[in-house]
Amino acid sequence: METLVILVQIAIGAALINNFVLHYFVGICPFLGVSRRVDTAFGMGCAVTFVVTIAALLNWTFTYFILRPSAPLPAWVWEMAGGDPQTEIDLSVLSYIMYIFVIASSVQFVEMYVRKFFPHLYKSFGVYLPLITTNCAILFACLEIMKHLDDPTGLWGVHEALTLAVGGGVGFTIAISLMAGIREELDLCDVPEPLKGPGIALIVAGIMAMAFMGFAGVDQGIQNAIRLLLQ
Amino acid sequence: MASQDPTAVERFINGILPENPVYRQLLGMCPTLAVTGAVKPAMTMAAATAFVLISANVMISLIRGLLKPHLRILVFTLTIATFVTIADRFLAAYMYQMSKQLGPYVPLIIVNCVIISRCEICSSKQRVGVAIADGVGMSLGFALALGSIATVREILGSGTWFGLPVMPESWPKWGIMVLPPGAFLTLGLLLGAAEWIGRKRAEKAKQNR
Amino acid sequence: MDEQPTRKGYIGQAWLVILLSLVYGGALAGVETALRETIAENKRRETYDRIPVLVPGADGDKTREVNQADEVIVADADGNWQRVYLAVAADGAPAGWVLPAGGQGFADRIDVLIGLDAQASTITGLYVLDQKETPGLGNFITSEALFTNQFAGKSADDPLTVVTTDPISGSHQIKAITGATISSESVCRIVNRTLATFKQPIRRRALQGGKATAQAPPGPGKDTQ
Repeated sequence: METLVILVQIAIGAALINNFVLHYFVGICPFLGVSRRVDTAFGMGCAVTFVVTIAALLNWTFTYFILRPSAPLPAWVWEMAGGDPQTEIDLSVLSYIMYIFVIASSVQFVEMYVRKFFPHLYKSFGVYLPLITTNCAILFACLEIMKHLDDPTGLWGVHEALTLAVGGGVGFTIAISLMAGIREELDLCDVPEPLKGPGIALIVAGIMAMAFMGFAGVDQGIQNAIRLLLQ
Repeated sequence: MASQDPTAVERFINGILPENPVYRQLLGMCPTLAVTGAVKPAMTMAAATAFVLISANVMISLIRGLLKPHLRILVFTLTIATFVTIADRFLAAYMYQMSKQLGPYVPLIIVNCVIISRCEICSSKQRVGVAIADGVGMSLGFALALGSIATVREILGSGTWFGLPVMPESWPKWGIMVLPPGAFLTLGLLLGAAEWIGRKRAEKAKQNR
Repeated sequence: MDEQPTRKGYIGQAWLVILLSLVYGGALAGVETALRETIAENKRRETYDRIPVLVPGADGDKTREVNQADEVIVADADGNWQRVYLAVAADGAPAGWVLPAGGQGFADRIDVLIGLDAQASTITGLYVLDQKETPGLGNFITSEALFTNQFAGKSADDPLTVVTTDPISGSHQIKAITGATISSESVCRIVNRTLATFKQPIRRRALQGGKATAQAPPGPGKDTQ
């Protein structure tokens, strides 16, 4: 059950210890922009989780089969075309373009889906749904997965990639919902004029980041617990 | 200036302080928080962003006549992604340690809102000279923002500036400044300061009228 | 979003995207061809430059020559395989092994190089390649004086343990960095795990004369510990 232990480590790492917003600083724009009220914030978190899962799945597939060094598909095409089967084909230079295309398309599809089946939610999102495309968190999750597809000794399967994506999305949702809850209270407080809005939000985020630093080492403990349980 | 677009020189000056991408427009926060632990990575990131911004501006400005409304964002993204890949490869080849330190934040320039918004607002509608001026101005503003935050964080957090020690040996390094909470706190307080300065100047302008 | 362009309109506009994709693709192919070797060289230099320091008696250039001619790959019982570097002296005689290893640290992944002697029985050195630990605390794991020098001379057979007080000399104890116990423990855990998995396969290879023989990554084999 080593796989389960590793998946737990990835999930907790992405959600809590190395929280996408509070540790890696990705997804700050929606974090500051959409965190005024808890219900919109939670909805945005769910939308981001949904998109990042789809994007991660698609990008893992493309990277595994096409883009990484010595990927199977280009090698097969090269051989069919009569090339020397020993040459290593490396298309990874096209990774970033491919990823951002996939992400933009995923957001487009999610937008159409939400518009059709959840029109109420679609209205409340307004312009922020298409803005998920420029959400650093999604591209960041894909880049992290790509990092683990570069090293032939530690190749990540689709299960690990999806765990990272979902874990990251859940972490983003936790962070943005907490921030929304705090900001709803802040609206009733006496914040100095220059700090109103993004200023105080960032200071609160700093304190939240300090709090989340306390999660370090939690994955080790949970891993040990799982190993004990499964013995 | 009501019916005229800003000229090239005006755009250049605008980008540095009055419409500073970080302090006033609140764009491009991800790299601003991530790489400003020390001045050297911050400046490298600013240089990389400047390369991408100016190149993308030039390219988009050259093809602005061919852009159709529905596919223009796609074209912007494609262009930006290409230049970011070039910048990333260049860094990996000639500044390998720095490239490793900056890590995933160089490719994240693709989703840096500063660049897409400049393409949308300026270079898709203006000729090349104006686009370049706008790009250079915004890049300088971005570098100024990154530099100011990095200076505060590095001096307080490590006692150095650009790797050179500037604080006395007895300075207890405020480790928190180099960590994520320090990034948020520094940016929040500096934003507050920028806002305060902006308000004072607006008040003075109102008084002088 | 209200006026939908005609299908013909979309196709008509797509030619620009396709043309740009081709142009950009060509530009990127050019950049990649120009810079690929330099980047790969940077990566290789990172490891090869450290080998003479990690394994006393090893010669950097000769090691590089030998390892670039033939990649040494060892596999454990589960089929997990790992590239190792055979460190050779200037005359080609085997001087030791360098084993790359990595795992989760306190903040993020830690990558290290472990130096072993020719029989893979003693650790000759440790070098931290990559880490993102807490500056001023955990990132002292890169410091030779404070941390990595302790690994030289430790036996590869006893798992290393981390203590916060002064360790008994000659034992398998490593003193943690003050205030960075988790980072120190992570490094030891990575070293222990990698050595436990791969020291037998390396010893088997050493018994074969230490020759760097090329071998394709094997599937799950019947290697016994």
